[in-house]
Amino acid sequence: MAKVFIYPANSLILADLIERFGHKPLVIMNQIREKVTSISLDSPPLNITPEDPKLGLRYAAIEVPPGVRGRMALIGPLIEAAEASIIVENPPTNFGCVGCNRTNELMKYLIRSKGVPVLEIKYPELDEEAHDFVSKIVEFLKSLPKEKLGHDEKVADKEPSEKETGK
Amino acid sequence: MCLLNITWVLKEIRGMNPSNLKFPVAEERQKMTETKNETVTKYIVISSDKVLPSDAAMKIYESEFSVTVKETCFGLIVTGPKDEVQTVIERIRQLDKNHIFIKDRGFPAGDKRRCRATLGGGPRPGFHFLREEVKMLPAIGAALDELEEKAPLREKLKEKSRIKVSVLEKIIEEELAR
Amino acid sequence: MSSEELKPVKIALVSCGSEYSGVQPEFESAADKVNAKFVYPEIDIAYMDTISRDFGLEVASGDLRLMMARAKAVVEGTTNVDGVFITTCFRCAEGAIVRNEVRRYIHKNSSVPVISYSFTERTSAGTLLTRLEALTTIVRHKHLLTREIQSGLTAGIDSGSTTTKAVVMKDNEIIGKGWVPTTKVIESAEEAYSLALKEAGVSIEEIQALGTTGYGRFLVGNHFKAQLIQEEITVNSKGAVYLANRQKGSATVIDIGGMDNKAISVEDGIPGMFTMGGICAGASGRFFEMISKRLGVDITDFGAMAVKGMQENVFMNSYCIVFGIQSLVNSLAKGASPEDVAAAACYSVVEQIYEQQLQEVDVKEPLILVGGSSLIEGVPKALTKLLKLNVLVPKNSHLIGAVGAALLASGFVDE
Repeated sequence: MAKVFIYPANSLILADLIERFGHKPLVIMNQIREKVTSISLDSPPLNITPEDPKLGLRYAAIEVPPGVRGRMALIGPLIEAAEASIIVENPPTNFGCVGCNRTNELMKYLIRSKGVPVLEIKYPELDEEAHDFVSKIVEFLKSLPKEKLGHDEKVADKEPSEKETGK
Repeated sequence: MCLLNITWVLKEIRGMNPSNLKFPVAEERQKMTETKNETVTKYIVISSDKVLPSDAAMKIYESEFSVTVKETCFGLIVTGPKDEVQTVIERIRQLDKNHIFIKDRGFPAGDKRRCRATLGGGPRPGFHFLREEVKMLPAIGAALDELEEKAPLREKLKEKSRIKVSVLEKIIEEELAR
Repeated sequence: MSSEELKPVKIALVSCGSEYSGVQPEFESAADKVNAKFVYPEIDIAYMDTISRDFGLEVASGDLRLMMARAKAVVEGTTNVDGVFITTCFRCAEGAIVRNEVRRYIHKNSSVPVISYSFTERTSAGTLLTRLEALTTIVRHKHLLTREIQSGLTAGIDSGSTTTKAVVMKDNEIIGKGWVPTTKVIESAEEAYSLALKEAGVSIEEIQALGTTGYGRFLVGNHFKAQLIQEEITVNSKGAVYLANRQKGSATVIDIGGMDNKAISVEDGIPGMFTMGGICAGASGRFFEMISKRLGVDITDFGAMAVKGMQENVFMNSYCIVFGIQSLVNSLAKGASPEDVAAAACYSVVEQIYEQQLQEVDVKEPLILVGGSSLIEGVPKALTKLLKLNVLVPKNSHLIGAVGAALLASGFVDE
């Protein structure tokens, strides 16, 4: 079972196909669940506090706006945990956690540069394109290793490793 | 729900094996994460000719699982303990497996922080994107049916690319010459 | 509290990501304090595909397109709101373009008041409070803001960070003035107020209505049981167009205060877009005080001295008050004339206002310069030179807040 990061990070179709074919989708909804069900946080609606843009500094410099860093605090740990990725180009208009294109550019760059298998595919606009879309995704998912185990529902915020802190 | 979580944590801590308490901070953190993950919410989106959301809901009501179900225009939202929700969704999926789709949801059903009634207006951001994706589900379902029936004979769709300037020049010349 | 005050003001929150930036609770808290409620305009999802073309602004981010669609919903009346708060992340160019254009679009196509703001994760409810107070005042007291003449016997007190000003007005004339440095907020207000009452020859009991503004407005207002306690954006806009006799049409008000500055776009006396603050006290009255002290001249003579100087002869950086003074010491050591130094100080202050504050407001003529620093003649001169616009300094420009408060308070005399 491979942990697969998806873009858009909230896609129903991608999350469903990944699970259907025996892998684990890494989705933003689980990160949000972690936030909103936390009994120690009270910062509605998403319980994102000023601490989150600071956590986002791990992925983007201080000059990058807080909206990008706050989103990266949710998405970054997913990218770190990813063993593969599916990126859909031209997805339908979306907002919220994936409504900031600067964040989207950064997250796509980070996953591409990670060196894991990445499938880049166009969002289908016609029925016949949907067939091609599904079969490409299935083919990609079948090519991923089945053995690995990913049992954590929410990706924990990783402590900086020695190598990184030693810089 | 918070109350339920707290009770659950207390129960877990009482029953905890002392040998697991080597690194209490890390352990506690791990426990907290597990606790939060214990209650999950999933969307079941039904794009089926055979199954109606109400049929699926009925199936859950009849079951022994302690999950809460909310019917929506797309299908169902199911909240409950992780394992039970997982079993429930798998059963529902089997009602028409290529036409029932599942994804996680961050907020529990009807959460005030994301409810449009309390926010006074527009829906939460994920709603629109979900609606867009739902439009594509009949085609995705058909593709899954086809995949199941036969080994995929993938048609190579012609890739579009920008034409060369020299080719464009030739076309312009031809057009002007007419 | 009037029934108007009890009813929450509905403000459309047009934002691209405040809830992802950790600032949403601060927004909500500031709104609560002024009894306002944020709503999220409902949009037709089909708008999202066409909004960039309709609006004419193509942007990549979905949330920014959502902002345009929500603005359209407000303008077309599909969402009924009393005001609009437009906000995007600080330092995002794409966001800044949309924020400004959406604000202009709403301002041009509807009468709904709108304010805009760029936030960081450090934005606090206090920073937002004055802005939301101004917005809710426009909604709740529009009738007060339409007042163009002062009537009856009213007074205004402006409790500023450096000085406290008071005026007494009767039948559209200033009949008494008081101006004292702020030491203790209430004592200074009492002193300024009694000076104004003495000059006017009236007793405190005869005053029909009192308005307070400035940093100490709540404290002073409650102490004197003022009829009106109002933030300085609304009061100073009204006061400036009143004193300059430009009550109709557009104007830009620049208020250089003791500690911070305000730049406000005004339309028919009602504030629109505004910016507050400044990087450092290096762009405020306090800087002038320090410079004049170092030059050994009285602050009242400093302005005339600056007018005689050539700013080009001295390099001065007043982005920081410490570096500003350092520039001054260095220049004098190199033999610069005190006049040139004074001129450079004035230029440096207006340069910072231009770079930091005027970038976010629509600068429209007339440009009305108010606040204590407007009396330093070198300041309007430097501003004229920098902006290539005529700068208007009305009579009594340093009493702007007190006059505005007395004028607005006269709305309570009629009631």
